Formats: sequence, C-alpha cells, structure tokens
Amino acid sequence: MKDIAFFDAQCAIGAPILGNARGGETAAGLLAEMERNGVDKALVAHANTEAAGAIFANENLLELIQADDVDNRLTGVWTILPAQCGELPPPDEFFARMAANRVGALNLFPVAHRWQACRLTIGRLMDAAAERRIPVFLGQRIMDGGWRGVFDFLREFPAATVIINGVSLWGPDRNIRPLLENFPGCHVELSEYWVPEGIADLARLYGAERLLYGSGYPRFGHGSTMLSIRHSGLPLEQVRQIASQNLERLLAQAQLA
Amino acid sequence: MKKAVWEQPGSLAEAFWKNGIADIPIYDMHGHMGSHNAIYFARCEAPEMVAHMRRIGVRRLVFSHHYSLMGSFRNKRVHAITARFPDILRMYVSISPHQTDFIAEDLDQYDSMAPLAIGFKFLPDYHKVKVTDPRYEPVLNFASERRLPILVHTWGGSPYDGPDVMLEVATRYPQVTFFMAHSFSGDLPGAKRVADACPNVYFELTSLPGQHTIIERLCADIGSHRLLFGTDMPWFDEYQHVGGILSADISEDDKHNILYRNVEKLLGKDW
Repeated sequence: MKDIAFFDAQCAIGAPILGNARGGETAAGLLAEMERNGVDKALVAHANTEAAGAIFANENLLELIQADDVDNRLTGVWTILPAQCGELPPPDEFFARMAANRVGALNLFPVAHRWQACRLTIGRLMDAAAERRIPVFLGQRIMDGGWRGVFDFLREFPAATVIINGVSLWGPDRNIRPLLENFPGCHVELSEYWVPEGIADLARLYGAERLLYGSGYPRFGHGSTMLSIRHSGLPLEQVRQIASQNLERLLAQAQLA
Repeated sequence: MKKAVWEQPGSLAEAFWKNGIADIPIYDMHGHMGSHNAIYFARCEAPEMVAHMRRIGVRRLVFSHHYSLMGSFRNKRVHAITARFPDILRMYVSISPHQTDFIAEDLDQYDSMAPLAIGFKFLPDYHKVKVTDPRYEPVLNFASERRLPILVHTWGGSPYDGPDVMLEVATRYPQVTFFMAHSFSGDLPGAKRVADACPNVYFELTSLPGQHTIIERLCADIGSHRLLFGTDMPWFDEYQHVGGILSADISEDDKHNILYRNVEKLLGKDW
C-alpha cells in the first residue's frame, strides 16, 4: 500500500435531497472510508449541488470540510454559474476565494441550474480558468445533450484543463477517446471506467498522465478502482501517476491567486 | 493511517493487492462474448478475454454469446468457441423466446453441448417477454427434469424479470437452480423477498461490486451463502469487480463464499 499514494478525484459529501447518502453526509464519513481503504487525499464536491444550487453548495461544502478535516486531506470543488446575474464574484476574486478556502477545482450543472454552458455565459470565467489552468469537471450526465454537450463545450473552450467524470458504466471509449485525442487539456477520472484492460489501453494511446483515480463516492466505494489501477498491467511509475501524482500536478499547476 | 483493508495480514485483499492473484479459484458465473451495438469492447473474443481472466485467477467463466442473445448466432457455434478453451470456458445456452424453433433444436442438441454447456441464459428485459410466458416453458421443464441452472437477467421494477415475476417462476420450478443476474439491481427488498421464499435461488452480482455498501447489504439481508460472483465479461474488468468484493466491509468468510465456495457447493470442483 505504502508504495502507492491515492488521491481521489471524484468524491461528494453532503445530504442529497433524495437521501441515500450512504454515510457521505459528512466529511467524517468520507474520511473514515478513505482510512479503511488506504486513500490518502480527496478532491470533494457537494453531493446536493444540483438540487440545492451553487450558492448553498459552495458554502456548505466548506462548512462540512472544516468541521471534520483536521489533517487537511480534503480539497474542495466549487460550482460556477453564468456571469450576467452576479451570483458569484468576478473571476479574479472568485479564484482568490478558492485559494483562501482550499478549493482547487470547478464544476458546473447547466441543466439542473437552467443555463446555457457556452461562451456567452461563462466565456470570461472559462478563459481565465484556462489561462490559470484551473481544472474543470465536465460530464455527460450533467450536460445538455449528454456527450454532445461535452463535445460542444470542449470545442468552445479547447484550451481548458478538463476532467471528464461520470463516464458511465457502459464502456465509454467511443466518446472519451475522441476527446483525449483532440483536446490536450482533457483528462479522465476512472470511477466508472470498468473496461477490462482499458486503463492500460488508454495510457498507451494517450499517456498515463491523462488518467486520474476517482472512487465516485458515495455512489461507489473506494476499493474497486484502486485494485483495477494497481493491477492495470502498467509500470509502477505510471500506476503512481494515475493513483495520485496526476491530480497533485493538476492542482499544483493551477494559479488561483 | 490505520492498516487499510489491503494490508490486513493473511487476507484475500492483501494477497490480491500484492500479487494480483490469490490461492483461490474465482468462478465468474456471468459472462458474454462478441462485439456490442452500443459499446466498444477491445477484448471481446475468447483469447483476449481468457488472457485477462488468467491474470487474476479465474478458474471458470460461464458465458452466453452476445450474438446468440441479440442475433441469430447458434449455440452450437458458441460450443465450438467454448471447446477451444475447455480449461476455463463454460457456456450457457442462450434462449430467445422469439426463436421457438431454435429452442427446440437447442434442447435436442443439449447433450452434445454438455458438459461445456452447464445450463441456460434468459434475457427477458431485452427480449421484452415475461419469464412466465409459455414460450419459456420447454426450457424450464427441461432444466427442471435435469436440475440445470438458469441464469436470468433480473432488474428491479422490471415487468419481465422483476421480483414478482421471478418469485412466481422460481416457486413453480423448485428443481431449477435460478441464478438471478444483477440480483434485481436496485430492488434489494424485492431480492430479499425472493430469497426468503425460494431456496432454489442464488443472486449473481454483476455490476454491483464497487457500488458503495451494496455488497454489505446483500450479505446482511440475504446472506453471502446465496451470492455468486460475475462480471458480464467483457463488459467489466475482473480486478474492478473482485476489488469491489475485497474492499466491501464484510467478513473474510463472506468473500470466500462469493468468489468460489458457493459455486463449488452447487456444482462441485470438477465441472
């Protein structure tokens, strides 16, 4: 275990509107599961962002993390909104607040929050995020049109540093391979990538540095993807990259302040 | 940090973590083969699948071919593929209720496909025919006479193979051993209802390992002695699914039961 550190790119905490948090209502629940499985750190979003909205989720996430994360093992993910309504501060101020609060990445829920994910709405923020190399989570489940929405978004913001999440358990190679091939800033977290020998295939085709360990907690547990990465057949150096080093690098290179 | 599940001395998790394989057989009771309309499978033919399974120590994969379930590929041809890897592959005879002439022929030829064929596979949600439909009866009667297992795709809420339907069928055919593929995914109370009423039913786990707390709840509510390991190979990685069993918060005995003991109690060690 100790020869491989794990940094989970795909976690959520907080009470979902429909319940069934499976122990993930608090950061303490997540940290206990990380401990049990041997996961060192996690990048964590709010589990109820879609229903409760970005304003509540961004604030409550910090409260949940600060309540239990005494060792600073958790880094937050904040949700963005269109600029025109002034619900979030301008990019520079927003990014500075992220840095001050140990928030390292962004996500968006345009369908649930009823806005159009395009240059007209978030162009200024996305251009700034791309320039500062701040990672943005993007997934077929939350975009209008599913994968088409993901493709459209990346065509509009090709320089963005993106982590594709929630790729779906039905083998997603027909969708993620074109994205990895065409967008150098595109990365994939692996919590739903269960393809036999697929991790090694993706690493060989596009580079191990494009892949990130993610558990998908609380929907999924931590251990299954840990074992599939550990025994992906890749050299230990690349296993370590996928397990933690790639996410460490993405967060370190982000210029928030 | 405390010792993680992978570091518990002498545990299966420790062995698989360190070596990628352990001193136990794995019986994968739910596999397929062949390409798929909606999914790219890089390794969906026998040699590549077998190579993947050998790495982790799968002793047997019992599969039904996609082309037989979804198309008109005959089970005799699946038998020929199975026979190329007799040390690891076994087959279910795929049944489509829309091909009653195929069913008659497959039952006639069953003896020539056994022992590599160990039973039958139903896929009611895809064929849109309830398992209580009379078109399944010849197969159910055949399996009952010979006490053969049938792997049935099951799903919570399904009108074709949900708990109510399967409760009726499993009660009507007590001599058939039913493997409920996916364990009525999404309907644990329904699965428990079937488990409590039908001792001839076992619950196959494809797509569930890895889902947080599901394996724990199945062990608590149904019992690990009724659970069978499966992966839908080539859909899901063996390490991913085995990892979901090993990292579940269940006993070491539970893990042994799921990965091989239950199958060996049902079918023996030499099949």
